[in-house]
Amino acid sequence: MVQWIRTRMFRKYAHGAFHPVSLGVALILAWSMMTSTGFAADVQPPGGVHKGVDVEQPIEFPHNIHVEVNKINCMYCHTYARRSKVAGIPPTSKCMGCHKIIATDKPRIQKLTEYWQKGESPKWKKVHDVPDFVHFTHERHLKKFVFDRDYPVEDVKEVCAFCHGQIKEMTVAKKVKPLNMGWCAGCHEKNGGPGDCWKCHK
Amino acid sequence: MSGKLNRRDFLKALGLGGTATLAGCDMPTTVTLEEGKEDVVSYLLPEEYVIPGVGVTYASTCTQCNAGCGVHGRVREGRVLKVEGHPDSPINAGKTCQMGQALVQAHYNPDRIKSPMVREGGSLVPATWEKAQALLDEKLGSKANLAAGRVAWLTGTVSGHQRALITNHLESVGSNHHFAVEVVNTNVWSAVSRDMLDDPQPQISLDKAKLILSFGADFMGTWQSPVHFAGQFSRMRTAADRGALIQVESKMSMTGGSADLWVAIRPGTEGILALGLANYLIANGVSSASLPGDARDKLAAYDMQKVSNATGVSTATIERIGKALKNRAPSVVLAGAAVEGQVNGYEAVSAIMLLNVMLGNIGQTILPSGKFPLQQLEAKVGGTRDLAAFAQAAAQKQFDVVLVHGANPVFTAPASLKLDEALASVPFKVVMTQFPDETAMMADLVLPVSSTLEDWGTHVAAYQAGASNISIQQPLMEPLYDQTRGFGDIVISMLAMRNAAQYGSFKDYYGYLRNVFANLKGAGATASLSPDEFWNNSLQAGMIKIDSTPRKHTVKASIAAIDAPAADANFPLTLIPSARMGLFDGRHANLPWLQESPDQIAKVVWGSWAEIHPSTASKMGITHGDVIRIESEAGGIEARAYLTNTVHADAIAVPLGQGHTEYGRYAKGRGVNPLKIVKAAVDAKTGELALFATRVKVSKTNKNEIILRLGHSDTQHGRRLVRTVSVDALKRTKGA
Repeated sequence: MVQWIRTRMFRKYAHGAFHPVSLGVALILAWSMMTSTGFAADVQPPGGVHKGVDVEQPIEFPHNIHVEVNKINCMYCHTYARRSKVAGIPPTSKCMGCHKIIATDKPRIQKLTEYWQKGESPKWKKVHDVPDFVHFTHERHLKKFVFDRDYPVEDVKEVCAFCHGQIKEMTVAKKVKPLNMGWCAGCHEKNGGPGDCWKCHK
Repeated sequence: MSGKLNRRDFLKALGLGGTATLAGCDMPTTVTLEEGKEDVVSYLLPEEYVIPGVGVTYASTCTQCNAGCGVHGRVREGRVLKVEGHPDSPINAGKTCQMGQALVQAHYNPDRIKSPMVREGGSLVPATWEKAQALLDEKLGSKANLAAGRVAWLTGTVSGHQRALITNHLESVGSNHHFAVEVVNTNVWSAVSRDMLDDPQPQISLDKAKLILSFGADFMGTWQSPVHFAGQFSRMRTAADRGALIQVESKMSMTGGSADLWVAIRPGTEGILALGLANYLIANGVSSASLPGDARDKLAAYDMQKVSNATGVSTATIERIGKALKNRAPSVVLAGAAVEGQVNGYEAVSAIMLLNVMLGNIGQTILPSGKFPLQQLEAKVGGTRDLAAFAQAAAQKQFDVVLVHGANPVFTAPASLKLDEALASVPFKVVMTQFPDETAMMADLVLPVSSTLEDWGTHVAAYQAGASNISIQQPLMEPLYDQTRGFGDIVISMLAMRNAAQYGSFKDYYGYLRNVFANLKGAGATASLSPDEFWNNSLQAGMIKIDSTPRKHTVKASIAAIDAPAADANFPLTLIPSARMGLFDGRHANLPWLQESPDQIAKVVWGSWAEIHPSTASKMGITHGDVIRIESEAGGIEARAYLTNTVHADAIAVPLGQGHTEYGRYAKGRGVNPLKIVKAAVDAKTGELALFATRVKVSKTNKNEIILRLGHSDTQHGRRLVRTVSVDALKRTKGA
């Protein structure tokens, strides 16, 4: 029943109108949910767990230091996420922008510098991927969950975490969410995302 | 439920059975992809305007046929993904045809040649560019002992700076033998236009016409500039005062399929019908003032009954066409390949052009084209006369070196020309190509060239739509293979061998073009721009407008008698080697997208078939799918019979495109090539081969094979899948 009301309500919300009768019930429900997730009631982060493998990368990039210790915004490096379907691996020049000066004594930075001096980018291994017939787009998801809601951009990592997990606790990324169709569709259902096949399968 | 299954239940049962079957297979249980397997490499230094995942669009020019349509290529992460029409192109106005759509498939084709090949001990073996270059230097370099006129170029239609370079190369080796071969061409139409109007490529304005009478001109498929004409046609059709199309031909073309009235005509008698119509028009009050003085007398011989007997078109239909011509002005009358490809093709096309003169279409729907001022860049238009001329000259051992590019004459030449034997006798044959085609397999040196999407080029379409243009072809991505070279780069390097003073300073074709464009600007293309600005603007626009000199049409009409092709009891049918948009003359048979897109009329995919009229077939006891043998004096082919009333009873149509003996995995060994059994007769006036004049006989073999067709059947078997309503009923419901 509760699920039914939630689904109905948020579906309506996606079209910009509340069902007048269920509004009161929904508001109470929403308030209780807000306290549990840390998110406003209009968003239902997807659940689901995937037991990802540990992927060996050319350089063990420490996401935790960048995000948790140094408080760097995800979109500072993955700058294409808000403009494109892909978030993009940052250009090596971007890494070197800081690491010409910072932490040059660390072996990982020295390895990075070697690549840079050779004029090469590291061959990273892809961790998060969807099949070629799925047209996932970062841009639309950031628009919906961050910009359209006036969600504070400095907290964007919590939105990224919907699909990528708590990257701030990882060194190299590890896949912790299923990223399969049922999982995507479940979240679309809960949050009023499009349900048409061709939205993702073009 | 009764014991009977209806269609719906049957499908349901099939669906269940299907699921059960699939469950037994190794179906993946999840769509999640493996982690840590695929590489992902970032940019080292990002380009400012590049966003991964977002396409950047560049302008270029399509080379799938010679119409010269402008295209926009979408490039993402350094790879071309899609090609669409250039919205500003005066030729195609943002549209492309299916061949243009398949441009990317020619580029990513798995059968591209990836390194030079040299003939050693009778077979072609991969070689390095150093070796290829050394061989070129030995045969064509400054120390090569070349007597005058011993080098020949054999190309398709070629224009722009590629053509200029070929001309310059021939000059540098003391020769002037440039043969341009195209099986699908409109050269007889051009010859007639030049003689009658003093304009070889008059501009046609279908959109201004209230009636198009087309004698087999497949103007939306293969004729001159198909995408351009398709646009005009659609404007004509959607105008408030809607124009009409009457198509007269022996085998229905794609254009014929769109006609308001389709008339089947006995092959080779289109000119007679045109003269008959001229006679009808004069008799019915259309002025003959624009015709020569003896016109009335000459035309009087073509009375309705005589014309009807010769053409097989009923007098009622002739009258109907005549009335339409008289009442619907302005009109435009066109002639296509089947009219041109007769021994009296010139006279027949003249008769058709005569109708335009009589009806006052010149200046209304047939307009003068501008004279292109840069002659050395104008299209060298290919034809079949050059095919025959080359075969003859090569057989007489006139050449030491032959350079081939953009043509596959070994495939397109009728067997009776013996072009393969002639070519084999040439001591050194260089073929510059993307694919291992039939001609490349006979070469002594094969040079792998870049694809259209990797190479530079400039193109001047023979048919200039609207203002005169040079279309620009630019690389949309880095070459896929490091051992291929641009065509222009190869010619520049050969020129540098002979004429280092003039060409040695150019590193490549790009360098040459930059230099040329800096001077082109001075020639009056655009003022007040720096060379860099002019170059960048040109690339961005994909074309340069060139001011052409206006031309005036001076009409010189003439009338010649036209005889019907003689009957031949031994060879009762006429062979129609029909070209269609898609495989075209066979050059696109290696593109699976075009192989699998069905023939527009027969809806057949992936193979050859012979279209034969049911009445003709029943006389010989031929049924649908029977493998029949089609023999002319020049040879025989076997194909599956396809019974259809979209072909005249006296004709048998075998589409062009298949029958490759080489040309990669998708084309090789598939179907038959009707050109091989064409008898080498020529149109007397122009020397073009009479490709549509070959008489054949048909015999049965004992085989019957399935013809793969889209939909498989022309009827709906009473299921009413597509509901229709008669025009009368529709008018009633609209209250009209």
